[in-house]
Amino acid sequence: MIYNEISKVIENKEIAENIFEAHLSSDNLSKIAKPGQFINILPSSDFNKIMRRPMSLSYQDNKSFKIIYKPIGDGTRIMRDWKEDDLIDVIGPLGNAWDISSDKEVVLLGGGVGIAPILNLYNNIKSTKTSYLFFGARKKEEHFIAHDPEKNIYISTDNGSAGIKGNLFEAMNSIFEISDLKDKSIYVCGPPMMMEAIRKFTVEHEIECHLALETIMACGIGICQGCTVEKCNSTTNSDTYRNKYELVCMDGPIYKANEVKTCLL
Amino acid sequence: MLALKIKDITFKNPIMVASGTYGYGNEVSDFVDLSRFGAIITKSVTRNPREGNPAPRIFEVSSGMLNSIGLANLGVEKYIDEKIPYLNKIDTNIIINIAGTRIDDYIETLEMLDNADSKHIGYEINISCPNIKEEGMQFGVSPDMTRELTQELRKRTDKILIMKLSPNVTSIQDIGLAAQDGGADAVSAINTVMGMSIDINTKKPRLSTVMGGLSGPCIKPVALANVYKLFKSLDIPIIGIGGISNCDDVIEFMLTGARFIQLGTINYKYPNLVETLTDELHSYLGQRSIDHIKDIVGDLMIEDK
Repeated sequence: MIYNEISKVIENKEIAENIFEAHLSSDNLSKIAKPGQFINILPSSDFNKIMRRPMSLSYQDNKSFKIIYKPIGDGTRIMRDWKEDDLIDVIGPLGNAWDISSDKEVVLLGGGVGIAPILNLYNNIKSTKTSYLFFGARKKEEHFIAHDPEKNIYISTDNGSAGIKGNLFEAMNSIFEISDLKDKSIYVCGPPMMMEAIRKFTVEHEIECHLALETIMACGIGICQGCTVEKCNSTTNSDTYRNKYELVCMDGPIYKANEVKTCLL
Repeated sequence: MLALKIKDITFKNPIMVASGTYGYGNEVSDFVDLSRFGAIITKSVTRNPREGNPAPRIFEVSSGMLNSIGLANLGVEKYIDEKIPYLNKIDTNIIINIAGTRIDDYIETLEMLDNADSKHIGYEINISCPNIKEEGMQFGVSPDMTRELTQELRKRTDKILIMKLSPNVTSIQDIGLAAQDGGADAVSAINTVMGMSIDINTKKPRLSTVMGGLSGPCIKPVALANVYKLFKSLDIPIIGIGGISNCDDVIEFMLTGARFIQLGTINYKYPNLVETLTDELHSYLGQRSIDHIKDIVGDLMIEDK
């Protein structure tokens, strides 16, 4: 079931340097959404661009949800100015969800605002699965979670100003040997270049890895066919449809690392 | 007040959805009452399935978007098996959009659909997709090809036949006249406008196919000019498409000569726009004591200079 509902802004605040978290009410969609799914947001009723903005849920309960964003584009700059009680038109929940069926310990990697669907998953599974959470950013000021290795929470910064120095990939490798990762499953969302490095690494070493892909979307519900990703192992010929190219909005956004040819969409 | 006809088929209002912007209807059925539309035009179907073009296929531009999907679709056989049973349940007129690269592709597809257990009332023929590369005729740029294709399809169906016209031609009225001569019941205009955008950092085009089709509010003036040219030349109804986003836009198209309109790219932003549009059309007519919406079609005031 997909809902088009009007959500009310409960709170909209800067949680780290130029990183915002919006908490919105929801009549229906937050009840049925699963971690990894996203919503398609109309930033304002007079938004003059043609596309809604897809955003992953970072938190959900029976009557509200949260998103995390960085105000860098036309839509997110409008979202930065959302005030309490503003009414926002959203469509969702959309796409597939994280596959958490395996019994392995999990390693969660969130880079920048890509932490959103990772946090939602972490809060959903931390009581039942041994989870290692890694959150990467460029510098200390962009962090809103404390580095706490005793609780298996690791943050990293490119400049070493907090947590582990280095990018997310380097942070993970400083804690786990490749052999440690073989019996874990990795979940990752973040900048495309970072995801692509992890995709190649996990495919090469045959480590289970789930990716939340990001690309330009117009409809978010499988109509416009704009948000394609090329699949591996497709037996394409002139008589196929959605075999070589899948739609990130409805077939994804979650894929196993060995299913897709690239994260650079 | 809003009901209109093409031949003997009644449409409850002049608002249709443009092919490719509403899928096959089922995608939005959770949150849109499809029966509010005068007609639903389904995504282009071709004789064989098509994977479509490589990514990137879409890009957002000022007041619009570029696309180059490449007619990705499941092919007519699966369309009949998988989509028609759902479409048969929708309480409004269904028009099936057909695309092709060879005249036989169009004919075979139309014949298969005509013989299927389907309630659709007509066809819209896409002779103007800018995003396919295969060898084959660009029907939509040639009056002779348009006339021949229309005649061939006309021979094979009694259902409504609409030819969808491209703005990327020298004279859209010549193509429109050829469609009318060939036996079309209506024309729809315009398909997307050829466009392009470049990432100046990578120097790469934003679309994998370099050029693509521009749609959205930015093409509305282009669409209106083309509808106007067609209205001056043709006798058959014109279905106006191009950047329609609100009731004012609908009225503007109808004053210019469109008897029906299609909502296109705006569906991505407001999938439920039809619900407010019909109410607003009623108020526009009511406030001006206009009995029926057909009275405003082509009612353009142009002063002689």
